[in-house]
Amino acid sequence: MDKRDPFRHNVLTSGHRACSGCGEAMAARMVTDLIGPDAIYVNATGCLQVFTTHNQQSAWQAPWIHSVFANAAAVASGVEAALRAKGKETPVVVQAGDGGTFDIGLQCLSGMIERGHDVLFVCYDNEAYMNTGVQRSSSTPHAVRTTTSPPGRLSQGKHHLKKDVISIIAAHHLPYAATATVAYFPDLKAKVEKAMTIKGPRFLHILSPCPLGWEHDSALSVTVSRLAVETGLFPLVELEHGELTGVMRLAAQRPVEEYLRPQGRFKHLFGSKEGAVELRHLQALADARIRRYGLLSADTEWDTESVAQVQRHGRGGYVSAPQEMDDER
Amino acid sequence: MKKLLEGSQAVAEAVRLCRPQVVAAYPITPQTHIIERLAQHVADGELAAEFINAESEFGAASIVLGAVAAGARAFTATASQGLLLMTEVLYNIAGMRLPVVMVCANRAVGAPINIFSDHQDSMALRDAGWIQIYVESNQEAADSLIQAYRIAEVCELPVMVCMDGFFLTHTFEPVDLPSQAMVDGYLPAFRFARTLDPTQPMTLGGGSEADNYQEFRVAQHHTMENAQTVIEAFDADFGEQFGRTYGGLVQDYRLAGADTVLLGLGSLMGAVRDVVDRLRDQGQAVGALRLRCFRPFPAQALIEQLRAAQRIIVLEKAFSAGAGGIVAIELRAALQQAGITTTVDSVIGGLGGRDLTPEVIEAIIRGAKPDEHEATCRFAPDHIAPDNINSGEASHG
Amino acid sequence: MSASAKLAVAPGSSTAYQSGDWRSEQPLYRDKWPPCSQTCPAAEDIQAWLALASDQQWQAAWRTLTERNPFPATMGRICYHPCESGCNRKHLDSAVNIHGMERYLGDLAIAEGWQHKLLTEISQSQRIAVVGAGPAGLSCAFQLARRGYPVTIFDAQSTPGGTLSSGIPDYRLPKSVLQGEIDAILALGVQLKLNTRIGIEISADSLREDFDAVFLAVGALQPRTYPDDGYGSHSVMSGVDFLRRINAGESLSLPKHVAVIGGGNTAIDAARCARRLGAEVTVVCPQDPHGSHHHQQGTEMPASLREVVEAETEGVNFRYRAGVRRLVRSGEHLSGIEVARVDQVHDRHGHFNPLLFEGTEELVPAGLAVFAIGQEADWYGLEDLSQAGEKSGVWIGGDAAGKPRLAASAVGSGYQAAMSIIATLKDESFVSDTHKKAQIIFKQMQLHYYPKQPRREGEINQQRLTGFDEVNKGLVDGDAEHEAGRCLSCGVCFECDNCWHFCPDAAVIKKESGYEIDYDYCKGCGICAQECPCGHIDMKPVAE
Repeated sequence: MDKRDPFRHNVLTSGHRACSGCGEAMAARMVTDLIGPDAIYVNATGCLQVFTTHNQQSAWQAPWIHSVFANAAAVASGVEAALRAKGKETPVVVQAGDGGTFDIGLQCLSGMIERGHDVLFVCYDNEAYMNTGVQRSSSTPHAVRTTTSPPGRLSQGKHHLKKDVISIIAAHHLPYAATATVAYFPDLKAKVEKAMTIKGPRFLHILSPCPLGWEHDSALSVTVSRLAVETGLFPLVELEHGELTGVMRLAAQRPVEEYLRPQGRFKHLFGSKEGAVELRHLQALADARIRRYGLLSADTEWDTESVAQVQRHGRGGYVSAPQEMDDER
Repeated sequence: MKKLLEGSQAVAEAVRLCRPQVVAAYPITPQTHIIERLAQHVADGELAAEFINAESEFGAASIVLGAVAAGARAFTATASQGLLLMTEVLYNIAGMRLPVVMVCANRAVGAPINIFSDHQDSMALRDAGWIQIYVESNQEAADSLIQAYRIAEVCELPVMVCMDGFFLTHTFEPVDLPSQAMVDGYLPAFRFARTLDPTQPMTLGGGSEADNYQEFRVAQHHTMENAQTVIEAFDADFGEQFGRTYGGLVQDYRLAGADTVLLGLGSLMGAVRDVVDRLRDQGQAVGALRLRCFRPFPAQALIEQLRAAQRIIVLEKAFSAGAGGIVAIELRAALQQAGITTTVDSVIGGLGGRDLTPEVIEAIIRGAKPDEHEATCRFAPDHIAPDNINSGEASHG
Repeated sequence: MSASAKLAVAPGSSTAYQSGDWRSEQPLYRDKWPPCSQTCPAAEDIQAWLALASDQQWQAAWRTLTERNPFPATMGRICYHPCESGCNRKHLDSAVNIHGMERYLGDLAIAEGWQHKLLTEISQSQRIAVVGAGPAGLSCAFQLARRGYPVTIFDAQSTPGGTLSSGIPDYRLPKSVLQGEIDAILALGVQLKLNTRIGIEISADSLREDFDAVFLAVGALQPRTYPDDGYGSHSVMSGVDFLRRINAGESLSLPKHVAVIGGGNTAIDAARCARRLGAEVTVVCPQDPHGSHHHQQGTEMPASLREVVEAETEGVNFRYRAGVRRLVRSGEHLSGIEVARVDQVHDRHGHFNPLLFEGTEELVPAGLAVFAIGQEADWYGLEDLSQAGEKSGVWIGGDAAGKPRLAASAVGSGYQAAMSIIATLKDESFVSDTHKKAQIIFKQMQLHYYPKQPRREGEINQQRLTGFDEVNKGLVDGDAEHEAGRCLSCGVCFECDNCWHFCPDAAVIKKESGYEIDYDYCKGCGICAQECPCGHIDMKPVAE
C-alpha cells in the first residue's frame, strides 16, 4: 500500500498508465479520495479500468472489481444486495465512462436505479470511446471529430447531438443526480459529499477532458473543463427526484469559440462555410442550455467565479488519511 | 418424505435449503416457475435473501457475480436466449473463478424462436469454464443443486445444473426433500478467499497480457480436470448422507455384456432405460450410459464404461452446425486417444422439443450403422419432408 | 520475466511502475521575487510579511518587515510606496495597501512595546562609526548592532532622526512615532552622541583611528541659496531652515502672504506648514504640474502627487513654470516676489538653473519667501573622509550619496552599507541586492482564482488646518488582516492546494508545510504549473 501522503488516501495512486494530463484520472482521484478507501468500487471497462489495472498491477488502494463493459451497475447491484443481506453498510460506488453509461451501460444503469439500489454511480465523461482509439459515443458532442465520425467531404464531424443523459437519469426520479467537472473542485466536493449522505441510487456526471482525444495541450485539462462550463455547453446542475434543485450560475457567458479553439477535435469547423454553420449551431446549443437551466439568472450562493477561488492554506480536502496503518498487510 | 413436486418447485426448495443471500433472475420460459417460487419464499419470509428482478439475463448474471464477489452465496436461473445473452458474463465469472451456481432450464435456441426443450443452449457455453451437470429427474435436480454449491465453493469454479425445460421443469414427480439440518450438515457456510472487503482491499478483474494470460487458462483447465474427482466424491458423500447417488460423472444401466450402448443426457434416459429393458427381453445385448457431468468431460470414466462395447450410439439434443454432434465428436476423440477403434453412431434428435418416444429410440438403436459415405451424424426422427425451408426459396406461408 | 497470474492483485502495486520516465519536461517549485520587492528601495520581503499579517501573526510580520526596514511606522506614513506601483494586484482590482499595512505593523509594535532581537549572542570587537542619525545612519546602525557589532552614531543636532525629524512636519509624521522607532533601535545597544559635529567636537582623524569602519550618512541638508543680501533673515530663508524651526517646536509668526519657491517635497511641506500657521500660501514652482501634456522630459515637478493634492485641498495656490526674477522690498520688509515664466529648468550642463522669459513678469505678494530649490550634502569636517572610499574603510549612504532622495532608499542604503562593512571586515565579498529583478509578472499568474475585494484605506482627518495633528489615520483592526490577505503572493506558494487537487498522478505530495513533487511518477503534464494561481511552478525541459 502507498502511504506517501499524510493528507490524502490516494485511493487511486501513482504508477497508473493514464495519458499525461488525463482529466479522468484527475476526476477519479478527487471522487475516490472524497469517498475514501472504506467503500467498494465497481468499474466498467474503459480508460479508467485499463490504465489503473494494467497487466497484473493495480493503482487502487480500496476493494475494486471490474467485470465487463456494460454491467458495472448490475454488478454493483449484486454487491449492494449482498452487503444488505449481511447487514453491512459499506458504500458501493460504480465508476464508468460515457460508453459504459450512455450507451452499452444504460440498460443496467436504468435497472439499478429503478430497483432503488443504494449505489453511487459516477460517470467520467470524456465524450468518446477513448480507450479504444477515440471512437464516437452518444456522449460525443455535435460536430466533433472522432475516428468514427470524421469530418470529410460530406461531413462536419458527428452529426447527432450529445445525449442528454442527466435528463434520462433524472426521469427515473432518483434521489440525487448532478453534473460536475474537475475545474470546480469545491463544487464537485460538495456534490460528492451530498451524494454520500443520501440513501438509494445516486448519479454523478463528471466532465473529464481528454488531452489525447480532444486534442489539446496536456496542461490545459482544467482550463478546458472550466471553459466548457463558462460557455454554457456543460451546465452544472442538481436534480433530486426529477426536479431541478440547483445550478451553478455563470458569472459571465463566454462565447463557445473560446472553448472550441484550444481543442483540435473542433479544428475542422474553422475556415469553411459549412464549419461556420456548425459554430453557430454550437453557440445556439450553449444559449439554449443557458436558457433552459437559467444559468445566468439563477439565485445561487456560488457562481463560476466565486466557487473556484483559492484560499491561503487551502479549503480542506478529503476523507482524512489514517494516522496509523496496518503494516501487516 | 416424498412429495409430488413440479421440477421447478423441487429446484426452488433445494435452492432455499442452500441458504443463498442473493437471488437474481430475469424471467424466461421455461425457467419462470423456479424464480416465481423463490420470489414467493422471499415474500413469505421463508428464504432470507435479497430477491432482485434483473432488467435482463445479462444483468442477472452480473448481479450474482457481484454478490458472490462481495461474499454472499447467490443463485440465478435461465434458459435459451437468456443464457446466450449472459454469455459474456458467464465467461467473466469463470475467469474470475467465482463460485456461482445456476440452473439452465434447457431450451432450444432461436431463430426460429422455440420455447421447448433441447440442449443447444447449455452446449453453446461448453467452452466458458463452467462445470455442467445434466440431471435426469426432478429428484436429481434438487440433489444436484445442493451438490453444486459445495462443488463450486471448493473448486472455485461456477456450476451450471442443466434440467430439461418442460420435461422436468413443468412435470410433477415424487421428490424427497431433505431437511435444513441435513443440508447444513452437507453444505457449510459460504467462505471465499477473494471477497471485496475494505479491511483487505484487493483488485479483481484487472488486466492481463501475453506474458501471464495463458497461465490463468492453464490453471482453469487443470482445476476443471481435477474437479472430476471432487464431483465423484461429493456425489458419493451425498449418497452416504442422503441415501441417493447418481454415479458421479456417468450413470450406467445394464452395461454388463452389452455389445450396443446408447449414450445420452438428461430426462430422455428414462425412456432409454425402458427401451433397453424391452430389447434385453428380446435377447439383444443392449445397455445405456447417462452422461451426467459433461464439463469437465469425463473421458476416462466414459472409456472405462464403453471399452467393451462394439457399437456406441450417442443420442444428443444439440449439435454443432457444420460439424455434427457435440458429445459424439468429443467421445470419438477420447476413444481415439485411448486407442479404441469402436465407431460412434452420432444421432441428433429431439431438437426444439421434438419428442423422443420409446419407439423412436428403439428405431434409433435398431437403425443401420452409418455408411462411410453418409454424413458424420444423422438426425432422428424425421417428420414429413418439409417444404420451403431452404434459404433462397420464398416462403408464402 | 512474466508477471505472475493472480486472480487478486495487490492494492497499490502500480507504484512499482515509475511513470516519471514518460516526461519531457518537469515542474519545479520555485519562489519568485515579486515586483513589489523589486521596487522597494529597502528590498523588503513584502510578500513574506504580508503573509504573516494575513494569518494575524503580527509580531512575526513586524520582525520580517524590520529585517530590512526598522522604520515601518515612519515609512508607513511618509514613503511614496513604489511597491504599490509595482503590485500585480492592480491588474485584478487595485494594488494592495502595502503602505497602510506597514504603518499598521509599525504602530502596533510601538503600542505593544515590541523589542528588536539580536541575531547573535556573539559580540564583535570591531567598532563602527556612523555619522548622521537619520534614516540611513540608524538603519546601518540597526543592522550592525543586531549582528553583534558595537556602533556609535554621531549627529550634529540635538535630536536624532535627521530629515525625518527636522524636515517632515508632525501632520505627516508625529514626533512620538519617529522617536518610538528610534528608541527601539537604540535599545540594541547603539551609542548615540548628539550635538557632536565631526570637525568640531571630534576630528575626522579620530574617527579613522578609533573605529574600524565609518559610514557617512549626513543627509542633504545644505540648501541651495538664492543670491540675495537678505537671505537668511526673517523674510527670506531656506525651506530646510523653515521646516527645522517648526519641527523644533519654534512658534513662528508668519505674515499674511507666504511664497514658497520650489517644486519638490520640501517646498510642499513648507507650504502646508505655512497654511497651518495661518498664512495664504503660493507655491512658485519652476516645473510643470503632474500629468501635464506639455512637459518635456524631466520637467515635471518632483514633489509627490499625493502631497500636491493634499496641499491643494488645504488651499495652497500653485504657480507653475514660474521662476523668481527678483525680490521686491519695501524698506526692511519683503512685499513680494517678481516671477516670470520659465523657459528651461536646467541649463545645458543639466544643472538646475531656470531661464526666464523677459516680458512675462508678475508680482506675487509675499511677506516671507521660503526657498526650497535644492539641497546638497554638507561635508564640512568630512572633506577628506568623503573622498576616502570603501577600500579605506569609509562608506557613504542616504541622501548624502545622491539621488534618489527617498527615505526608503536611505534605509536601504544603510542596510547595504552594513552588509558591505561586515563583509569587508571579514574579508569576504559582497553583492548588493537592492532592486533585484522581479521574476514574476501578472501574465504568468491565474488572476481569476483570486476573489475581487475592495482595497481598504485609513480614514482622512477632515479637520486639517486647525493644527498639526495627523491628516491620515491608519488602517483599523479587522481591515488590516483583510488587506494583507489581498496580497496575491506572486510567485510564492500560499498552499492553495490547487496543484495537489489537480495532479492526475498523485505525484504532488502534501506535507505539513508545502508540497513535494514525486518525480518517480510525475508525467510532466504541466497542469500544476498552469493552474497555480501565483506562478510559483516552472516547467523545465528534462535534461537529455
